[in-house]
Amino acid sequence: MTRTYTPWFLLVVALALAAVYLFPLYWMYVTSLKTGSEIFANPPTFWPREPNPDIYPETWARRTMPVFLLNSVIIAGGITAITVILGTGCAYVLARYRNVWIDIGLFCVLMLQVLPASVMVTPLFVGFNQIGLLNYPRTAVVLAAAAKAMPFFVVLVRATFMSVPRELEEAALVDGNSRVGAFFSIVLPLARNGILVCAILTFMSAFGEYIYSKSIIQSPSLQPASVGLSGFLGPNSTDWSSIMAYSAIYVTPILLVFVILQRRIVSGLTSGALK
Amino acid sequence: MTRFLNALRDGVGFDILLVGAALLFLLALAGAPLVYNVLMSFQQVDMFTLGVLFRPFVGFDNYVAVVQQPEFWMVTRNTLVFVFGSMTGQFVLGFALALFFAQDFPGASTIRGLFLVSWVMPGLVVGAIWSWILAGDFGVLNVILKSLGIIQNNVFWKSDPNFSIWAVIIANIWLGLAFNMLLLSVGLAAIPRDLYEAAELDGANAFQRFWTITLPMMRSTIGAVLSLGLIGTLQQFDLFPALTEGGPANTSNVAGFWSWQLSFQLYDFAKGATVSVMMFLLVLFASVIYVRSTRHEVRG
Repeated sequence: MTRTYTPWFLLVVALALAAVYLFPLYWMYVTSLKTGSEIFANPPTFWPREPNPDIYPETWARRTMPVFLLNSVIIAGGITAITVILGTGCAYVLARYRNVWIDIGLFCVLMLQVLPASVMVTPLFVGFNQIGLLNYPRTAVVLAAAAKAMPFFVVLVRATFMSVPRELEEAALVDGNSRVGAFFSIVLPLARNGILVCAILTFMSAFGEYIYSKSIIQSPSLQPASVGLSGFLGPNSTDWSSIMAYSAIYVTPILLVFVILQRRIVSGLTSGALK
Repeated sequence: MTRFLNALRDGVGFDILLVGAALLFLLALAGAPLVYNVLMSFQQVDMFTLGVLFRPFVGFDNYVAVVQQPEFWMVTRNTLVFVFGSMTGQFVLGFALALFFAQDFPGASTIRGLFLVSWVMPGLVVGAIWSWILAGDFGVLNVILKSLGIIQNNVFWKSDPNFSIWAVIIANIWLGLAFNMLLLSVGLAAIPRDLYEAAELDGANAFQRFWTITLPMMRSTIGAVLSLGLIGTLQQFDLFPALTEGGPANTSNVAGFWSWQLSFQLYDFAKGATVSVMMFLLVLFASVIYVRSTRHEVRG
C-alpha cells in the first residue's frame, strides 16, 4: 500500500514547499491589487477583498515607467550583445584545446567571475571620469556590466561547445573548409541552442542591473528600471501598493520568459555551472 | 601579409583572435580597474585630484584611517555574520530540498525548476518584496510568526539594531537557496544508484547511507557549492539599499555596501577603494578554494 501512495504524498509535500517558497511573489501581486486601507489591515487578508487593478496604469504613468523600462532594455541589450559577440569565440577556443595556456586563460576568466561589482565600481567610476566616458553614462554602464557578465557566460557556453563532437569540425576541415568556415557553418549552428539560452540568461540578469547604473547614471531620463524603483524605496517607505505594482510590471516579463524556457534554462545551468 | 591573413582565417591566428578580443576587453574593464583600485588605496584622492592619475602618495594612511573609523569593527563583524549566516542557511536548506527532490515522484524536476525563479529576479525587486514582508507594523511575517506563537510582539526587522542584519540575511537566503539546491541536485544525481542498493542489502539505515555514501561522494560538489556561496554572498549588494541602507547606525552594514557608501555618498574615493581592496583579499581567498575544488572538473 505504501508503495503506491508514497509518490503522491511526496508530490503534495513538494507543492506545499514550492508554495511556501514562492509566497513572496504571490504577496507582491496580491499587495499590488489591494486598496490603500486594506494593505494596512490587521490581520492581513490573503486575498484582496476588492481587487483594484487601477494602480497599474497609475504607477506606469506617474513613475514614468516607459522611460525606465526602455533604458533597461537598451542597457541589457547592449550588455548581452557585447557578452555574446566576445564571449562565444572565447568559450569556443577554451573548449577546443587542452593545454597549459588554456588552463591559464580559464583561471583568469574564473578569477574575474568572482569580483564583486561593489569592489569594481569605485575604480571604474574614477577611471571613466578621467577618460570622459561619464558623459555617455549608458555606454559606460554597458561596458562595465558586460565585463561582469562575460566570465559566467564563457563558463556556461564552454560547456555547450564541449558537447559538440570534434569529429564534425574535423570532417569539415578535411572537406576543404577553412577554420573560419568550419566555425561559422558547423560549430556555431550545432551550439546555437545553448548559446541562445545563455544569452537569454545574460539578458535577464542584466535587466536587473543596479549598482553600476545607480553609481554612474545621474540623469533620470537615462536610468534603468532598477534605479527608478530605488527612487521610492528605502527603510522607511510606506507606499507599498505602488512599489509592488512597479515591481510586478518590472518582473512579470522576466517571469514569463523563465516559465516558458524553464526546462532549457535549468539544463543549461546544470551542464555548465559546476565545470 | 597574406601569410598573416591566412593564419587569421585558417590557423592558430583565428583562435588567438577570438580569445584575445575577449581577454583584452576583460583586462581593460576588469583587470585594469583592479590594479587602479590598489593604486588609489595608496593615494590621496579628493575633488581636486580626482581627474589626474598621479596623485600624492600617502602610503598606508588610508588603511590606518579606515581601521580607525568607529564603524570599522562593526562592519567587519556584520560582514562575517552576513557571510556565515547566509551561507549556512542557503546550504542547509538547499541540501535538504535537494535530497527531497531527489526522491522519485511525478513532477519532481518541474517543481524543482520553479524554485529557480528567485535566481532570475532583479535583486532590487527581491529586496522590495522582502522589505514589505519584513515591515514591523504591517509585515506579513510578523503576523505569521505571531499566529504560530513563536513571537509575542512585533519584531521590527529593519529598524531594530539586533535584527537588521538578519533581515538582509533572510532575504539573501531566499535569493540564493535555489541555486544551491540546483547545484547540489546535480551532484546527487551523479551518485550511482547501486551503491545505495548495496548498502541497503547490507542493512545500512537511511542515516548511515547518507553519512557514508552521499556525503563522501558529494565532496567536490559541496566544496564548489560552498565556495560559490561565499563568492555570491560577498557579491550581494542590491538587497542592502532596498532593505536597510546599512542602518540603523551601521548595524546591518557590510564591507561591499560600506565601500560604495564611502565612495558614492561621502565622495571619499580613497577610503572606498581601500575598503574594496580589503574585501578583494577576502574574495581572493574564496576563489582559491573554489578553483581548487573544481580543478579536476575544469580539466575533465
